Amino acid sequence: MTLRVGIVGAGNMATVHADGWGAAGDSIIAVLDADAERAAEFAAATGGRVADDLDDLLRSVDVVDICTPTDTHLNYVLAGAAAGVAVACEKPLARTGDGARSAVAACREAGVPLLVGHVVRFFPEYVEARARVAAGDIGDVAVVRLDRSTYLPAGASAWFKDPARSGGVVHDLMIHDVDYAAWIAGTVTRAYARLAGSIDGGDHVLATLKHEGGAISHVQASWAFPVGSFRTSIEIAGSEGLITRHAADPFRSLVAVSPDVPDVPAPPTSGESPYVTQIRHFSDVLQGKATSRIAPEDAAAAVDVCDAIATSIESGQAVQIGENL
Amino acid sequence: MTRVGIFGVAHIHADGYLANLESADHVKIVGVSETDDVLRREWAERHTEPIFATHEALIGAGVDAAIVCTTTNEHLAVVEQLAAAGVHVLCEKPLATTVEDSQAIVDVCAASDVLLMTAFPMRFNPSLAAGHVWIDEGRIGEILAFSGTNQGRIPTHYAEWFADPIAAGGGAVMDHVVHLVDILRWWTDSEPVEVYALTNRILHPDVAVETGGMVTVGFGNGVFATIDCSWSRPDGYPTWGGLTIEAVGAGGVFTIDAFAERLDVWSHGDAMWTDWGSDANEAMVDHFIGAVRGEHPLAVTGVDGLRATEVALAAYRSVAAGQPVEV
Repeated sequence: MTLRVGIVGAGNMATVHADGWGAAGDSIIAVLDADAERAAEFAAATGGRVADDLDDLLRSVDVVDICTPTDTHLNYVLAGAAAGVAVACEKPLARTGDGARSAVAACREAGVPLLVGHVVRFFPEYVEARARVAAGDIGDVAVVRLDRSTYLPAGASAWFKDPARSGGVVHDLMIHDVDYAAWIAGTVTRAYARLAGSIDGGDHVLATLKHEGGAISHVQASWAFPVGSFRTSIEIAGSEGLITRHAADPFRSLVAVSPDVPDVPAPPTSGESPYVTQIRHFSDVLQGKATSRIAPEDAAAAVDVCDAIATSIESGQAVQIGENL
Repeated sequence: MTRVGIFGVAHIHADGYLANLESADHVKIVGVSETDDVLRREWAERHTEPIFATHEALIGAGVDAAIVCTTTNEHLAVVEQLAAAGVHVLCEKPLATTVEDSQAIVDVCAASDVLLMTAFPMRFNPSLAAGHVWIDEGRIGEILAFSGTNQGRIPTHYAEWFADPIAAGGGAVMDHVVHLVDILRWWTDSEPVEVYALTNRILHPDVAVETGGMVTVGFGNGVFATIDCSWSRPDGYPTWGGLTIEAVGAGGVFTIDAFAERLDVWSHGDAMWTDWGSDANEAMVDHFIGAVRGEHPLAVTGVDGLRATEVALAAYRSVAAGQPVEV
């Protein structure tokens, strides 16, 4: 079966997602973007048409894929749910935890699938590390260290650089590892974090998380690293063993550093792009061939934790999560 | 000749310090004292130097300088005896299990006009010394933050008391926070003002102290740092553990693995990392002996040990409060 896909927002992530839908054998039917020229170019490149408006798009598709700025996600998710159309949405699910939970509730009530793009759950090294944990190879998870350090892309959009709209480095970058930490170590119950900003706006955040069951996570997210650098690392210590995967190891993590690199370079990969793997998985879920790897509640919880991290940065205090939900 | 004694052999480093003293110039090793019969007998099986059953006896044999390697909770009593006898002191870290005892160690040495050095060998690690220079020279611009790790295997493999809440004053936090705090105070020339900590006991749940720990330290100059002090290296890890620190500045980043001077050695049994580089403990002992001879002032003092211990103890207060606490 070929899914009819409508994409909202025709920026960088939309192009990445379109490659995934194409690989899955699905069709981009319609696209919507505030920038008519960009929408037309995207439609021409993907074989779809430019939709007249959101209602027009939602009437003609099986799934709406939301690739717009973070602060607009919620309205599009609600519209998709109201139209009874399946929803795929780039992370974060919404700008705030409250919004994310209302998005989850709306999709549940409407009976439409909600698939949120926490792509780290499709990166093979992260998948393998979780499989080892799930197999009991390292016993009970005790101390987790996750790192995602890069730079603020020179060509970043205004909304992306505006923390009020994107949530900044916490909601845009750290959320990947916040979600992964919860995936392997359990629900996050408390967050504490500090942020330092460099002169050119590249924020650097160190967060420590407490999980239900007692595990501890250290999460680093940075846009303060030198231009051209992109580094990730994983360390999971358990009662029976230790998993490490550091940036300097081959094969994925090290990217040539150049002062002229205009954008965050895509990490080299030995196989299929994890972004494509993710969209193929979404396609399989929508066709009943797979169960979603990302529960909507997990996506909402990740935003709640990011909210708590942001609150901790503001207040200087540790923030309990879930008390008032 | 500088006459040196090792007071207590409960700490695993006593063996290494003896070797450091043996290779030092113009040092006479007077002997070793140990009040525990079992430890004394075991030591005597490994070494030929004279071993005394009381610290008084070793002091009475005539020493100019002492390296204190008792359990942490016994440091104060030994240092009081040494200071009263006018003996200069190099004391294992952490200085004591309480702030009061740590302060008393500093005070008694000052009152007796003897040198007091805290055993922070990382001050003598060439990579970390280079990091200090890099920061001083502004090579990565204004410093934003540090993330540090001082993780290891559980040290009960060496001595059970490292996981004894009385003898050691705690677990991974007491064992591994102070080195990085000292490095960061040295590098930033700023004092810790706030500490937030998380601990758990999932690793080695059979011991009575915390085995996992993650400490965030705020400094007076606004810089912050995280310290992972966990005993998170499993038994099969190729070495005891390690120490790393990453400095993030407005103009760049550098990362130091303080124990990168190693070989990876593989066999049909366990993998092993062996060191080939400089020996920070040896440089530290040489520096102490030089200071005792009046050749130079101490680069690391008892006050440095006190300040670092205060942070480790603040971490426990933070765990109890669930919030950051003032140092």
